[in-house]
Amino acid sequence: MKFIDPHIHVTSRTTDDYEAMAAAGVAAIIEPAFWLGQPRTNVGSFQDYFSSLVGFEKFRAAQFGIRHYCTIGLNSKEANNEALAEQVMEIMPLFLAKENVVAVGEIGFDDMTALEEKYLRLQLEMAKEVNLPVLIHTPHRNKKQGTYRSMDIIEEHEIPPHLVVIDHNNEETCEEVLRRGYWAAFTIYPKTKMGNERMVEVVKKYGPERIIVDSSADWGVSDPLAVPKTGNLMLERGIPQEHVELTCYKNALAAYGQSGQFEESDWLDPEPIDQRTLFEGNSVLRGGQTPRVDDKQEDDRIIQ
Amino acid sequence: MSYTPIQLLENWILRQASDAGQEWLDAQRQAVAQGDMKALYMGFGFAPRKVGKADLQLTERDLNDAAEAREGWMPHTWTIDQAARVLLLTSLPSEDDAAYFATIEKLFQTAEIREQICLYQALQLLPHQELFDDRLAEGIRTNIKSVFESIAHNNPLPMELMQEPAWNQMVLKALFIGAALDPIEGLDRRVNPELARMLIDFAHERRAAKRPIPVELWRVAAPFADEIALEDMRALYASGEQLEQSAIALALVSSASDEADVILKTHPEIAARAERGEITWRAIAEEAY
Repeated sequence: MKFIDPHIHVTSRTTDDYEAMAAAGVAAIIEPAFWLGQPRTNVGSFQDYFSSLVGFEKFRAAQFGIRHYCTIGLNSKEANNEALAEQVMEIMPLFLAKENVVAVGEIGFDDMTALEEKYLRLQLEMAKEVNLPVLIHTPHRNKKQGTYRSMDIIEEHEIPPHLVVIDHNNEETCEEVLRRGYWAAFTIYPKTKMGNERMVEVVKKYGPERIIVDSSADWGVSDPLAVPKTGNLMLERGIPQEHVELTCYKNALAAYGQSGQFEESDWLDPEPIDQRTLFEGNSVLRGGQTPRVDDKQEDDRIIQ
Repeated sequence: MSYTPIQLLENWILRQASDAGQEWLDAQRQAVAQGDMKALYMGFGFAPRKVGKADLQLTERDLNDAAEAREGWMPHTWTIDQAARVLLLTSLPSEDDAAYFATIEKLFQTAEIREQICLYQALQLLPHQELFDDRLAEGIRTNIKSVFESIAHNNPLPMELMQEPAWNQMVLKALFIGAALDPIEGLDRRVNPELARMLIDFAHERRAAKRPIPVELWRVAAPFADEIALEDMRALYASGEQLEQSAIALALVSSASDEADVILKTHPEIAARAERGEITWRAIAEEAY
């Protein structure tokens, strides 16, 4: 079975993770623009980060047979630095039209401050201008209120719910998110947001429609195989395969496919994973390194 | 009659783009011409969505027109979105060279891979090219082969602008990453002793590691070959693979020293083919990559 992980921060992961993800069936991923664990102090840090999302990281993922897409946005925590936020808004037009950008995001609330709301609204208007879907981050604290408030604001800006993914849902928020017509995404992240046994129960209760599973794996203790592991657990626990395909692949494709930048044909006929042939003429290999060729038995004691 | 590069790009797009794409491009170019930076930044990004990503369908005559409009311009690998992006760039006001440079640099700094390829190829048609020699030197530090090749291959700017250290790095790096040398414009004209020494050292390293030596290396190293290099060539010419023998014959034929003649006589039939022009660097490069 093929999987899409529509929310993973691979820029902080290793090539071992890429290899494991590809082996587990992850064909395509979306990397939402994020913070760095510590606040950025100037706009140059954002510029280089956005550039890596649309450039090098896309290239690096391709070396392991995984198609990489991203979303671009000013995250909620850093919206609280107004002087910096203004400069980030100025450079966003340089990035929103890039070819692998499938949404504006992840944007929304952290502390639910006035500045967070200001930049959420400005970015919703930007999404309308460039005709892209929106990825909403919902807060860890005061989650229910933050989720409902986000949807209220989206409705004030007259963005139709089918263009919006509300992420990091839990058992408390998903009913209202689904009722209002949004895509409801769930982050399988150890110990915090959602475990995959709970996820199985959510799908059993609400069905597969408009539900999306992702990993959010990043620099924290997290699991880049969360989507395939959850998909496999769903199958083991008796959820029909077609429901697994919807929640772990097709719904993400439908939601982000509305960008016009996220198409199954991009990865259904992939280049063979054979680094001798290179992917689009590119290589992550350094001079003298042996290309990875999947079907060849190599002696792993030898470093050539 | 001869055309300017801008006229040629306009004609080619007219042939291939939809009416809607054409109208969009015209509107963006007008806005950019009036100094609308947002139109430039977003238009640059949106171009493939508006005009498509197809290869430009260029005839032999188009390619001749291109070379006449701008010496060394070889757009046979260009795509329609690339042409549209270059037209947007040529619409940007350029009287203030510092402001112009800053804007183009901003695009470079935020470009994804296809955009970088487009920008490096575009520079040859833009004003103030002389401001971008550091940018070219920076560009060849990439570890993305297609970006490297957009500078090194079918691009007259390195030959025209690059200082010798950067030029030499570019040629050496091409060999390192498996990019062909033949499409480098001005390759034979800008051969120099320092470059030849670097390549000969590289060949020695490869021999010590028991790895193959890229055959095109000899084209650049041979004009300054020292005793050791000649010894390497003698050995490869005696027992190397056919492609290596052909490359060494061709390199030695053009170097025309007594030593070279002695080596060539050990395989006179290959030397004769090289002398008759039956072996070319283009054919060698095509077979090697």
